[in-house]
Amino acid sequence: MSALRRRAERAKTGRSQAIRRGRGETALPYAMVAPLLVFIGALALYPTVLTAYGAFVHNDALDPPNHFTGFGNFQSVFSNSQVRQSFENTGLYVVFGVLLSVGLGIFFGLLLQRRFRGRGIVLALMVLPWALPGVVEGVIWSWIYDPTFGVLNSTLKSAHVISTYQLWVGTHQIESIFFISLVQVWQITPLAAILVLASLQAIPSELYEAANVDGATTWQQIKRITLPLIRPGLAIAVVEGLVMSLNIFDQVYVLNAGATTASSLMSETYQIAFGNLNFGQGYALSLLATVTTIALSLLAVKLIYRRVEF
Amino acid sequence: MKVSKRVATLATMGVVGLGVAAASSSANTVHGTAAASSLKGQTINVAIAYPAPKAMLAKFTAQTGIKVNWDYVQWDNLQTKIASAAEAHSYFADVADVDWSKVGEYYATKWFLPLQSYFPIASVKSAYPQATSFIRDNELVGMPMDGSLLVTTVNEKDFKAAGIKSNPTTLTQYESDLKAVQAKGIVKSPLDIPFAAAEGLSTYWYEMTAAFGGQVLSSTYAPEFTSPSSPGYKAMAWMVAAYKSGLVPKANLEDQDYQALEADQAHNLTASVFSDYSGDVGTIYNVASESKVVGDVDYIPTPGASGVGYNLGNPDGIGIPTEAKHVPAAVAFIKWMEEPANQGAFAGADGPKDVIQTFPLPSNRGGLADLVKSGKVPGAATLESLLENHARAIFPAGAPPWYSQFSNAVYTNIHAAAAGSETVAAAIKSIASTVKGLDN
Amino acid sequence: MKRSRYGWLRVVGIGVLLLWSLFPVYWALNTSLMTNAQAQSSPPSFFPTHFVFSNYEAIFGFGPSSASTAGGIGRALLNSSVESLGATVLTLVLATIGAYAFARLRFRFQGFLFYVVIATLTLPVYATLIPIYTILTKLGLVNTYLGIILVYTSGFLPLAMWIMYNMFQALPASIEEAASIDGATTLQIFRRIVLPIVRPGMAAAAIITFLFGWGQFIFPLVLGSTNSTEPLTVALSALSGRHVVPYTMINAAAIVAIAVPAVIVFFLNRYIVDGIVAGSVK
Repeated sequence: MSALRRRAERAKTGRSQAIRRGRGETALPYAMVAPLLVFIGALALYPTVLTAYGAFVHNDALDPPNHFTGFGNFQSVFSNSQVRQSFENTGLYVVFGVLLSVGLGIFFGLLLQRRFRGRGIVLALMVLPWALPGVVEGVIWSWIYDPTFGVLNSTLKSAHVISTYQLWVGTHQIESIFFISLVQVWQITPLAAILVLASLQAIPSELYEAANVDGATTWQQIKRITLPLIRPGLAIAVVEGLVMSLNIFDQVYVLNAGATTASSLMSETYQIAFGNLNFGQGYALSLLATVTTIALSLLAVKLIYRRVEF
Repeated sequence: MKVSKRVATLATMGVVGLGVAAASSSANTVHGTAAASSLKGQTINVAIAYPAPKAMLAKFTAQTGIKVNWDYVQWDNLQTKIASAAEAHSYFADVADVDWSKVGEYYATKWFLPLQSYFPIASVKSAYPQATSFIRDNELVGMPMDGSLLVTTVNEKDFKAAGIKSNPTTLTQYESDLKAVQAKGIVKSPLDIPFAAAEGLSTYWYEMTAAFGGQVLSSTYAPEFTSPSSPGYKAMAWMVAAYKSGLVPKANLEDQDYQALEADQAHNLTASVFSDYSGDVGTIYNVASESKVVGDVDYIPTPGASGVGYNLGNPDGIGIPTEAKHVPAAVAFIKWMEEPANQGAFAGADGPKDVIQTFPLPSNRGGLADLVKSGKVPGAATLESLLENHARAIFPAGAPPWYSQFSNAVYTNIHAAAAGSETVAAAIKSIASTVKGLDN
Repeated sequence: MKRSRYGWLRVVGIGVLLLWSLFPVYWALNTSLMTNAQAQSSPPSFFPTHFVFSNYEAIFGFGPSSASTAGGIGRALLNSSVESLGATVLTLVLATIGAYAFARLRFRFQGFLFYVVIATLTLPVYATLIPIYTILTKLGLVNTYLGIILVYTSGFLPLAMWIMYNMFQALPASIEEAASIDGATTLQIFRRIVLPIVRPGMAAAAIITFLFGWGQFIFPLVLGSTNSTEPLTVALSALSGRHVVPYTMINAAAIVAIAVPAVIVFFLNRYIVDGIVAGSVK
């Protein structure tokens, strides 16, 4: 039942569960992990090392030959105003992505906390957006946002929310980022909701019963019991949202074209490598993204280890 | 067990899905016999941003014994593939697209084989009106694959309904005609400009600049658009003002060129495209299933600052990547592509079955003559005369190697100016400083 | 009871949840069943007034309006299926075997190696695009199913391993200990006792891996230099980047790409939820 509690117990027992091995099986564990390690080594770690190295090499297809340049690539990208704009935009993607996905995730999680008829189906339907490809989502939302034929415009206009059709993406920085971010939020909210739900189900029902006896209102219960106790799940949801929004690409590629208005770190990296053909600077930006992502993930690990103790 | 039943259902679905997919893809391969030559039996990979003319390819295979695996790759995706293959020194295709805008880049990067040993430069220059776009320092980077230029189209029915008797010949007249169409309420926003931050916006500005009587970069790639009295500056100011005043539909800020043409002009949401693509009348506006304006839209000589303006060329080329594996077969294929009769057929001289969809005009004079003579394509004679008499290359010295970065600066800044997040002066300044940073 | 007092609020909330989750997909389906003229009517119709299947015929290369603009979705569907299924099988086999060793056996450098595998979970995929392309070139695997499957596998292995690791950890050790005392070898215990028990966990890892494979875009775009390995995502983006392809047809292609994940989510949702929970505690 309680996934988190189960894991907490597991963490305590941990390695002591390792089973004894018969004689002549010393090589077995290595044989079992070797294929996995070869794959990850050859196609994940080695390419990352190449990227890290490439970040310090001048590699511009239009200005050969390649040579070591120290932090030259980093200086170039930091002095590029389009790159700086993409940093700012990415910050906004992260803020929108995390706040909205976690906020909606809590809302959906609370809705599904108690059993009711058809809950299984509602849960399945809620998960659907998470399972769809980002490009597909970009395409179907761009039709919804369409400035001439889009259903968002026609609906809001007939409801008298807007007086004329709006351009949701492309005009203003914050508005554009918000609407592109919304497409990603649509995709990652189910993840947050599931994590919140798992934490909710780990809360012992006696706590609510005791609160009821004390005459606490529903809102008081949410504030005093629910929210504090789902913090472990929330922390993970925040990290997932953070990593996803920091690396947003597919939705931007489909919805934003080449405008700097809503460019993201990843779409700018793509432009620099494949548009400008400056692969060195592309590697430098990729390395920055990698380091930022790892730093944030480590931060997350720390957060979670402290919080799982409840 | 429940699990295995569900997994089995899933697996069955997968198999059914695969079956459907396999059935529909079997028609792709082209088989040929005959023609004894050393190239017989080779298969070449061709990656081009046009759909394959299947019946024509079957004839090529029958003639030469060379099988062609023609991949129709979307233009932007194709550029990514060319760049990543070249960066990794990897074989990717024997024949690939060489867009006019990429000629400088490929000349600098040596990503494509020089072709002058197979196609002598002098004869290419005399047979092809747009040959110079593909020649750099006596090196032929690619062969022109089509003839293409930026032209002005107007919806004659809308213009007549507004009481306009003859087509505009100057920009002033053009603007007042558009305003008349708007004032009469025939079309709410008559002018089509795709303002999304994409390549189509850059080329629109180049064409507008040409109409104002100038060019954006000099033959040494110095900016010629910084002074407020320069054609480039005036062109940008004109475009941005047209957007802000409502002459251009508000929604166009998000429209890339294809969307704007498809959604606006074909549905009579606009009445004119100043910088349209040659071929759109035949391939979009006159196609009943795509268009509400069949028979209404015509090409007109582009209105200029004083009299008829220039039409800039934006031809697609075709070339052989350095890592190609079947060079002789690739050369044979390009020669076949360039045969005047075939060029005419691709553009519609032999009727719909041999057409390459969205193909604008034949690349060479022989093909152009065939097309005009066939009388099958509306406006072909007008286009041929524009191509011969009013066409110009976008850059007198050819596209610079850093064209992609330049264009990126152009479209992002014009887009920003139209969106109102910067002034035209700031946009001009920003583009000029990008050029300064690139050209050294 | 408070529950009943707030009952209506829950109903409204569930309504919002369903509208938010389903409307975009419904809208694509609705558009895909209309003619272009219907789809561009104002205000748009919330139901297809008469069903039109011509968009689906066109993208699969049947019917009159297909010509050469669209078509090819059938091939892309095949490619997506082969690449996602191939990567799922390979990932699942390697991850399950490796995870068992990490969870239950003891060996030198175990902690370090485990940490290395988990650390790769945090690598943003785009960072390794060009180096991976170069490596595949050297192996002669660009533009092959095998190449794409190998790359997907390397990318999905850490998560699948982590999910399986947590599944193994959740098993009581007593069964294995008993079998061990009875003289069974590690491999026998793994195959005969452990694997049957963790089958639901494997289903979870497999489904999540499959869905990830289905959603890939930038890697297959670059790693497949021609259309022969192009999955639905790339085909769809190419379709929406071509003029003369109407939005109704693009939405039909989107629905094709949505159909497979939708069926999986509807019938196998339980495993997805289990897998997400097991896979997200880092």
